[in-house]
Amino acid sequence: MKVRVDGGLCQGHTLCAMAAPDIFALRDEDGHAYAVNEEVPAGKEDLAREAARSCPEQAVVLAH
Amino acid sequence: MSIDEAQTSDEERKKHRISLDRHSPRYRLEFERLSDELHAKCPVAWNETHGGYWFASGNKELFDIARRADVLSNDNDVNGTRRGYRGISIPHVSNPERRTRGGFLEMDPPEQRHYRQALNPYLSPAAVERWKPVIEELTRACLDEVIETGRIDFVDDLANIVPAVFTLAMLGMPLKDWEVYCEPTHASVYTPPDSPDYPRVQELSMRMGMHMMRTIHDIRANPRPGLINELLNAEINGYRPDDTEILGVVMLLIGGGFDTTTALTAHSLEWLSEHPGERERLSRERETLLNSATEEFLRFFTPAQGDGRTISQDCEINGTRFKEGDRLWLSWAMANRDEKVFEDPHHIHLDRTGNRHSSFGLGIHRCIGSNVARATFKIMLTAVLDRMPDYVCDKEGAVHYDTTGVINGMKKLPATFTPGRRLGAGLEETIEKLQRVCDEQRLAEPVTVRKARARLDG
Repeated sequence: MKVRVDGGLCQGHTLCAMAAPDIFALRDEDGHAYAVNEEVPAGKEDLAREAARSCPEQAVVLAH
Repeated sequence: MSIDEAQTSDEERKKHRISLDRHSPRYRLEFERLSDELHAKCPVAWNETHGGYWFASGNKELFDIARRADVLSNDNDVNGTRRGYRGISIPHVSNPERRTRGGFLEMDPPEQRHYRQALNPYLSPAAVERWKPVIEELTRACLDEVIETGRIDFVDDLANIVPAVFTLAMLGMPLKDWEVYCEPTHASVYTPPDSPDYPRVQELSMRMGMHMMRTIHDIRANPRPGLINELLNAEINGYRPDDTEILGVVMLLIGGGFDTTTALTAHSLEWLSEHPGERERLSRERETLLNSATEEFLRFFTPAQGDGRTISQDCEINGTRFKEGDRLWLSWAMANRDEKVFEDPHHIHLDRTGNRHSSFGLGIHRCIGSNVARATFKIMLTAVLDRMPDYVCDKEGAVHYDTTGVINGMKKLPATFTPGRRLGAGLEETIEKLQRVCDEQRLAEPVTVRKARARLDG
């Protein structure tokens, strides 16, 4: 599973990093999120899905 | 198009009509039934109250509209030099003493974006993380003031104080001045113009405004780190804001930082008192539950109930035709209760997943203080759970705002608990100590300048 945060949509709500702190990081200066790695670590797919479901802006993009 | 045709077209556009006064007790008392009804019948409706405005309550509908910065404006054109738009309050605040622009929340890009870029490094998660020892110490002192008595008013003794003092710390203002700001900031939200208390609140608000202006001048003359200093030096889209514009921004930060966090904390503590089993579970399982519980309290209580916008160009969204100049209300509160997105929406589930609530707004105006609010709330809540685990709120003494057209807040929340022992100095002494800590460690610098966490020892 691949993951990315759409920078045009992310507004820094931080819910993705709350749901999946190993998959997402937040920029120091504004809290906007990015995926630490493009590839979701094996076994963490559910956390990535939960992050995508929780995002108020629907900015988390998952792909197989 | 003839006038008749235009009228027919307007009738057709506004075919789903409601008459809902958000500033009436009915809106507060029948909130859940009204939400369900609007979601089922007209998730976007024309509300005939307050001069007429669109009312978006459905989650999907609100989601599709709120993020359309290309067709929405937040502008409050107080001097009538642009298009005459009236900002984010519905009804418009027409009191001449309060006719100032509400900072960057009543601006559009690019100015709005410049302000946020300047202030984000003071308010980001990494920036707030540095402050946690200060917030914890303030909370400790507030609880110590009452811990031996077995009685507390969670609003007056805790939830009003911590956000107020901490907000002043981030602004770079003297912490001891918090009382000048606390009462008028809360009271002006819940005191309507026809209240006998209104003149007193107006007076306090005027004093606060003058005090703020003096503080801005002081910081201009003697720079000290913090949000105000940033505003004084920021270049916003090629200009330097004047003192009136800066005052509007600081008032926005204070208004946004105080009453909302107080409202969230009080409501959550009241709910936990009514659900002692859930309270015990939250305390016990806080490692896994505190985040989801916080988001669930945010969703359920939605401290800032909604925001107004003006349609900036004719457009059609999901079948509704909006016209330039139309007013619009984005009901974050009702969107948060839409069963199409939130199962069992009118109940609190501390472990709710997929909780993509809109309590901090959606789109480019997302609450810039959201990370401050979460951190302050969590610290106050867990301190109460640790030190007053058996508190019981007094139902008779709890006072909710009469109306919740703007903020879903509380004025009083008295409670009793088994007395405990003090852990340290009282509030006044603690504030003096924290002032020294702020000054010596320059805590109010942005995270881009200062990354280290506050140290309270020594």
